[in-house]
Amino acid sequence: MNHSASKDDVSRRDFFELALGWAAATFAVCASLVGSVRFLVPNVLFEPSLIFKAGKPADYPDSSVTFMEEERVFLIRQGNTFRCLSANCTHLGCTVNRADHGYHCPCHGSFFDDQGNVKSGPAPRPLEWFQVTLSKDSRLLVDKSQRVGSDKYLVL
Amino acid sequence: MKSPRIAQLWHWFERTRVGRSIFRVGLPQSNLERAQAMVSSFLLHIQPAKVNRHSLRASYSFGLGLISLYLFLILIVTGTLLMFYYVPSTERAYNVMKDLQFVVSAGLVLRNMHRWAAHLMVIFVLLHMCRVFYTGAYKRPREFNWVIGVCLLLLTLGLSFTGYLLPWDQLAFWAITVGTNIAAYAPYIGPNLKYLLLGGNAVGQEALIRFYALHVIVLPAFAGFMIAVHLWRVRKDGGLSRPNEPEDTVQHVELSQLPTQKTYGLMELARGTTPQVGRDPEEEVFSWPHLIFRELLLLLLVIAAVLFLAIFWNAPLEEKANPIHPPNPAKAPWYFLGLQELVSYSVFWGGVVVPGLLVTALILLPYLDRKRKGVGRWFARERVVANTIFTVCLVIAIVLTAIGTLFRGPNWSWQEPWKKPSAAIESQ
Repeated sequence: MNHSASKDDVSRRDFFELALGWAAATFAVCASLVGSVRFLVPNVLFEPSLIFKAGKPADYPDSSVTFMEEERVFLIRQGNTFRCLSANCTHLGCTVNRADHGYHCPCHGSFFDDQGNVKSGPAPRPLEWFQVTLSKDSRLLVDKSQRVGSDKYLVL
Repeated sequence: MKSPRIAQLWHWFERTRVGRSIFRVGLPQSNLERAQAMVSSFLLHIQPAKVNRHSLRASYSFGLGLISLYLFLILIVTGTLLMFYYVPSTERAYNVMKDLQFVVSAGLVLRNMHRWAAHLMVIFVLLHMCRVFYTGAYKRPREFNWVIGVCLLLLTLGLSFTGYLLPWDQLAFWAITVGTNIAAYAPYIGPNLKYLLLGGNAVGQEALIRFYALHVIVLPAFAGFMIAVHLWRVRKDGGLSRPNEPEDTVQHVELSQLPTQKTYGLMELARGTTPQVGRDPEEEVFSWPHLIFRELLLLLLVIAAVLFLAIFWNAPLEEKANPIHPPNPAKAPWYFLGLQELVSYSVFWGGVVVPGLLVTALILLPYLDRKRKGVGRWFARERVVANTIFTVCLVIAIVLTAIGTLFRGPNWSWQEPWKKPSAAIESQ
């Protein structure tokens, strides 16, 4: 095209061809990107259920803290009350260990007290508490998708 | 040394029809043929026919970029061989490592070579970056090549990170856990990014296969492409930087400034930054044999060094991944321990903000520091401010890495390496 010509000289035909071309190219690129990213987001997860049965209440002695390996939680019984504490460190996801008066994370040294509150270290939030209920067949039922406060107990 | 008879045979072969069809020039006998040999060969043509003799001085560049490239090639070859046995399955991956160690012929040495070459590549890419910085070689017109170099540094670290997950040992499992959780702290996209990287909420089979795909095809293909561009730009941006580089090598010739009475070949229209512009012919030597010989010698040395390490030291392999018990302390490989030390104070500041700012600063550096003084000399006096800032950052990084590596014991508590670990270690 002649560069000295003014802008008005772009014909209607050229304009529509350009507009259509760029629109099609942009759409093709964006649609491919969105499609590819969406493809990588899984629709079905083959992961253990977040709700699990933790056995009979009588399995846990009084004043005990039991680590459940598969589910990475602590089941805590005090008298006739039951609670469930996540063993997942809120810092970077390592599994915390039971210590004398709390929980110690081996990865970056966070320390949590018995209520899951951060006492020292880089963890930004307290450990999470999960809802404990009693199933119809009298088993403890933990739901890891339901977060509760540390003052919430299952009383039997 | 070649025996005369083999040499005769070779000279006969390269003059036959078949030999000529393959090599075109053959072993060069004259200066013209030396130049032709460089230009007509696919493998050699990325390099100039003649090279500045100052660029060949080993004490200037130390060949650090070339060593990085050789390590990358060693990693491609050993990695491809390892792929013939490796299975990206959480159940089988660890057993494959044991097979490589004890059953497969040369499996141990190949895995060792792959691991040590990877460690060396991190070291040499970093050293290469330091060399380019301290000689001011990132300045105009090489700004963008510095940016590509920063990308290659990140790709090198990404390749290392995705690589040491594959054995599915304790290091692998807890590194992927910690690494993806750091990603989750990124603003806005963090949790989604973690979900995308892991292919779910928990570290497991889906995560392993994703990191495997990244490690064996996505990142190496991208790195290979970037290396090609990096080398191409070295040629196009004025050749290797060198001492006493005349400033007029970087003049930019506008098309409109060229006299119009003459027709131009494409080479003449190229930017005025080729190594030939504004240069005395006496400074130039033929790449064949001066450059080629040094390069091949260096290749031999690099292979020998990696092989030496691989024969005498075994690559680490921890216990099989155990999602229940992190090792105590749970440490990343040394090049991430500075970062781990930072995140042990604050993930957001140490794991997201500081690395983010550091990478941004590195990318912007050639566009911020634009003075043309002191290029081509180590620690040039004119660049004292830039050099000081860079050195301070470097020392901080080294100190943090040293603390993370040597001074952190169980529960990431402070511990002097010369003292025996106290009895306070909890075994779990």
